[in-house]
Amino acid sequence: MSDNIEEIQKSVRKYIIIGIALLALSGFTVWLSTVELPTHGLNILVGMIVATFKASLVALIFMHLNHERPIIYKVLAFTVAFAIVLFVLFIVSAQDPLVFEGFYNRNE
Amino acid sequence: MDIPYTVTSRPDTGLYNAKIGIWLFLASEVMLFGGLFSAYIFLRVGADYPWPVWDLDVKLGFWNTVFLIISSVTVVMAWASIKLRKYTQYKLCMLATIACAAIFMVNKSMEYAKKFQHYAVKLTDGTILTGHLPQGYQVKFENVDALELTIVGSNKAVDADPVNHVLSSVVGDVPKFKFPSGEEKELNKATFGELRKSMRDAAFAKMQDERAKMIEAAEKAASVATTDFAKYEAARKLTIAKNYHSLSDTKVKLIPSAPLKIAAKPSQFFGYTDTSLTFVDGTIATGKLVDDKMTLEVDGVDTRAVAQSEKSLAFDHRYLGEAWQKAFVANRDHHIADFEKKYPTRDKAKSATLQKESLFYKEFHSAEPPAAGEAHGGKHGAEAHAPADSHGHEAHHPTVVIEKKDITFFSNFTPKLNTYYAIYFTLTGLHGLHVVAGAGVLAYFLFFNGRMLREDPEHLANRVEVGGLFWHFVDLVWIFLFPLLYLL
Repeated sequence: MSDNIEEIQKSVRKYIIIGIALLALSGFTVWLSTVELPTHGLNILVGMIVATFKASLVALIFMHLNHERPIIYKVLAFTVAFAIVLFVLFIVSAQDPLVFEGFYNRNE
Repeated sequence: MDIPYTVTSRPDTGLYNAKIGIWLFLASEVMLFGGLFSAYIFLRVGADYPWPVWDLDVKLGFWNTVFLIISSVTVVMAWASIKLRKYTQYKLCMLATIACAAIFMVNKSMEYAKKFQHYAVKLTDGTILTGHLPQGYQVKFENVDALELTIVGSNKAVDADPVNHVLSSVVGDVPKFKFPSGEEKELNKATFGELRKSMRDAAFAKMQDERAKMIEAAEKAASVATTDFAKYEAARKLTIAKNYHSLSDTKVKLIPSAPLKIAAKPSQFFGYTDTSLTFVDGTIATGKLVDDKMTLEVDGVDTRAVAQSEKSLAFDHRYLGEAWQKAFVANRDHHIADFEKKYPTRDKAKSATLQKESLFYKEFHSAEPPAAGEAHGGKHGAEAHAPADSHGHEAHHPTVVIEKKDITFFSNFTPKLNTYYAIYFTLTGLHGLHVVAGAGVLAYFLFFNGRMLREDPEHLANRVEVGGLFWHFVDLVWIFLFPLLYLL
């Protein structure tokens, strides 16, 4: 994080602009959820892309991740990798062989 | 002792220590919330019911998003203000942040309160009626002429405790009871304690008596035993007799001096028949069932689980009736026709929104059904769902009296209702705790670090930066929670 007074003065303006952008994107998210895309899954996908974009604005600008020391990126790389594993873990459940076929569908 | 590297950077990391600390903490926080988001995905993928979309108050959720974003801006401005030595601006920004957090929590608690008072009642055909229970739900008995208690011999989960579990459901004054001794006494902790003690003592005396008899019989058998096997048998029986220590349960009847009226909540009893009610302490009240119907002020009919929605049990003549059925069908067909016009190539069955709008009827804006032709009020989703109850809901909703045999399940909108509300309360509850904790830390910096602001502003700037990083994380979680729980 730079301690340069001039840079901080400049970034104050940036914080306000980003804040307004985040508010606008929140409104956009609400509107987007009322739009009937071909499938609801697509609605979720687009909504999550917008949310991820908003989250990156917060992380990069407000949390100063756009110019941080390397050690923090190293820590976060692990976190991001594990988080992604958690989010795609449900795909494994589709491969689960223990599927209940119902009481009446068994061939006996 | 001075804590090192609170202001200057540590040479090997290039950062002051607290910053490394907060980032490691945030990394673990990502895992915590990540696990819960993962649970959300699993629950949603595996849900065997239509996942609620636009079920919460979107307006309230949106305003909460606005306040969190504003607070994120103000907290980073607070940090910049110290760096620029603008102390008044710093204090104002911190105050604004804490105020936003407070507004967020007030909104959240209003939302929670609304959910606690709102009920869903599942009928036997799969229809779900939503609404309010103005009188709660109680099973009512009259002419209750006896309480049968079972005082168990040894420790068991269910033991008679009528003072705690039965008396609270008695309507009106509690009369005196005729105890087994013949005396008429008030039923309270002391008198019941005495009764229990005397019953236990009697059971103990009976057990000792039985044991003595068993020992006597075994000894007699031993004295006449001639073969090895008979001796062995007699010795075995003697061992059993000596180890005999089973206290039997005692049944006691308490007769009220005047017949009781009972109104019990579902959490107070195990079950009931036309003539008896079994409380959770095992006490059985014998009397006459007079009322187990549920009075519900209906604000929604969800027929998504019913094969022929217009034939839902909700439109039975005993309940909403034909006029509401017509309004429902008009609303349903209006939405379907609208959808077909807008999206002629799409599959109607695959649109979750259409399924919801056409089959989850929430247009209850008056106690009477709308006249033909004006069935569709033009309100959708959360708007139609918006609480008319803040200004006297009695007038705005039809009231139905549902028979118990038609109800399979009912619950308020809490984790008990379904997995959506379970994960909703888990995620927003944990997030709310983070809001409270984060605001508490920032308030501490504002109100208790005044001297540091004057004497060592760089140190305080670092503190505010670290507190701010946590605060941004709380905002970041909400950025995902809001669309996932409210919108999509």
